Amino acid sequence: MADLVTTIKQTLKDVELVLGWVRDPATGVAAPARFHTEEEAEAAVFDSTCVHNLAVHLPRLKGRRLGIVAKGCDARSVVELIIEHEAEREDLKVIGVGCGSILDVKKIWRRFGYGVEIDDRGDSLELGGERGPREDFLARKCHGCLEADPDIYDLFVGESAGGPAGEISGGREEPHPLSAMLEDLAPAERRAFWREQFSRCIRCYACREVCPMCFCRDICIMQTQVPHWAGGEVNARESEMIQHIRVSHLAGRCTGCGECERACPVGIPLMLLMDEQNRAIEDMFGYRAGDSLRARPPMQTFSIEKDLWGDEE
Amino acid sequence: MKFIAAKKIPDLLGLLARDARVWAPLVPEDSADTLLFLPWEPGAEVDLERFTQVSPKKLVMPGSEPLFSFSYSMAVDCERLEIGDARGVPGAGGASDADGAGEAPGAATVLFGARACDARSLTVLDALFGLEPGEAYNDPLYRARRAALTVVTLACTSCDAACFCSSWAEGPASTEGSDLILYPVEGGYLARGVSDRGEALLVLDIWEESEQPLPELAETDRVPFGTLNTKLLEIFSDMDFWERATERCVSCGYCTYACPTCYCFNIFDEMRGSRDGERCRSWDACMFYLYTLETSGHNPRPTIAHRYRNRIGHKFSYYPENQGTTLCTGCGRCIRGCPVGLDIRDVLRGAGER
Repeated sequence: MADLVTTIKQTLKDVELVLGWVRDPATGVAAPARFHTEEEAEAAVFDSTCVHNLAVHLPRLKGRRLGIVAKGCDARSVVELIIEHEAEREDLKVIGVGCGSILDVKKIWRRFGYGVEIDDRGDSLELGGERGPREDFLARKCHGCLEADPDIYDLFVGESAGGPAGEISGGREEPHPLSAMLEDLAPAERRAFWREQFSRCIRCYACREVCPMCFCRDICIMQTQVPHWAGGEVNARESEMIQHIRVSHLAGRCTGCGECERACPVGIPLMLLMDEQNRAIEDMFGYRAGDSLRARPPMQTFSIEKDLWGDEE
Repeated sequence: MKFIAAKKIPDLLGLLARDARVWAPLVPEDSADTLLFLPWEPGAEVDLERFTQVSPKKLVMPGSEPLFSFSYSMAVDCERLEIGDARGVPGAGGASDADGAGEAPGAATVLFGARACDARSLTVLDALFGLEPGEAYNDPLYRARRAALTVVTLACTSCDAACFCSSWAEGPASTEGSDLILYPVEGGYLARGVSDRGEALLVLDIWEESEQPLPELAETDRVPFGTLNTKLLEIFSDMDFWERATERCVSCGYCTYACPTCYCFNIFDEMRGSRDGERCRSWDACMFYLYTLETSGHNPRPTIAHRYRNRIGHKFSYYPENQGTTLCTGCGRCIRGCPVGLDIRDVLRGAGER
């Protein structure tokens, strides 16, 4: 990735550090990293195992001059964070990367064993020497990809996709694999489904910590004891409740990056909730979080006049 | 040696389940890529190949458990507080919601399909919680669950890139904490009793005799601990090291909650309405900001680097110093499941070279 390395080095002349990825020698897949010096930047990579959304680090680094390597979906989070004043546009150098879809590394490891060799050739995939259908192991969010190129960037590396990632995207209409099943269920059965799902929750809050938009994190309502809004017990009832709180706090703010579902260690299909809500927000307000720096998030816009969710100033 | 064919494992589980609740590695409904220790029921297919994402520690230390209940009432001239047994409150969730909790203290339980690292982690926890009455930290709830637990271990003939139990002398061959060990061989499993309780299981009318030799066990990655315990004290104030080591960490609690040896807990009151409540003990994690936040507003571990330093120091320096054993058994869960790919071995090796 000579191009990427050069771009990061160039960016480092202007910023304190750059958020990007390096290759983990033990597994061969990408892991998040911070580049402080040109020498460190030599290790920078970008490939289909760069699954993480690095925008999650921006609120904690607010006030410092930063560079960030961003896929199209990650850049949507950057946009939303700027709108919510958790990042300042002028402090940021966004290095956009051309993304041709990413892999569901967790799924691969859980099926074939942690650290199995992943050889992604773009049109085919070899896992530990065996050929697997690449499409089966793509991150689910790529199936709903709207635009693989970042909307905002200062520098761009790689090939522009000029649309959704690869040929696979069903766009906004691409449903979560479980949504059809859920729609057929009666309300009581849906409730039982979610109880079952949340019975596995261990309350590790990985969903919250990897979410770029969950920036209250250290003093989150899910955990504080004063005030004691949410019970502290580890059981399905409490976990379901706190997740509903989290989901509704993300109304009109979730950019659909899918990090919560990716990070969940016990496989709770959190994006099923987020997708449903995101769709409702778009239907009601014509708003998709992360689309534009000039957009006004409907749930954070208050006008005493009329036109509560219009475009006019 | 005793032998059981792979296809008869469900029958063995059925026999074990006559007198106890059996927890085994199972795939939850609608989540094919998840494997957890869950209560086994006839018909459920155990997965004895892959590794579980969360350790079985909740069988001795549930995610949360009520310690006692309380009730306020108004008397003529004062407010009265009555203390009752746990689960004395009608409609209370807690341990009666069988999901988050393990089993009630003292209920006969079998842990089936634990690995050597999981079984050994129980003895590591015993060094703190399993002490005799009268000694410090004697924990009656832990002891009751521990005494009622039978551990059937599955020996590892293969491992993955996250395993590092060979860092300890016996590695995958450790028998600590196991009652019975199953060794995968051609067509099934050889069985070896380790404790009296395990030997007693070999009397069940299900075993065959076999001449097959014990299989060769896995050989995992090794972390050279050496003098790491003192080294960690030396670099305690080296914040450069800790900040660089934790740059990718997002401070979630997965590593601690998946860990078979992390045992930190919090105690708080859960109200059921305005007058009745329960005092509950729940898992807590040193990676959370709120873990050390003091009433004054001061937080001695304000950053992720401070918190991760404590996690490493506790496991590899303070616990060995105080309890005589490392607070880690090399199961690798914190590595496999970390959402940001932070590998504890890299930090330990980095500390060693510092």
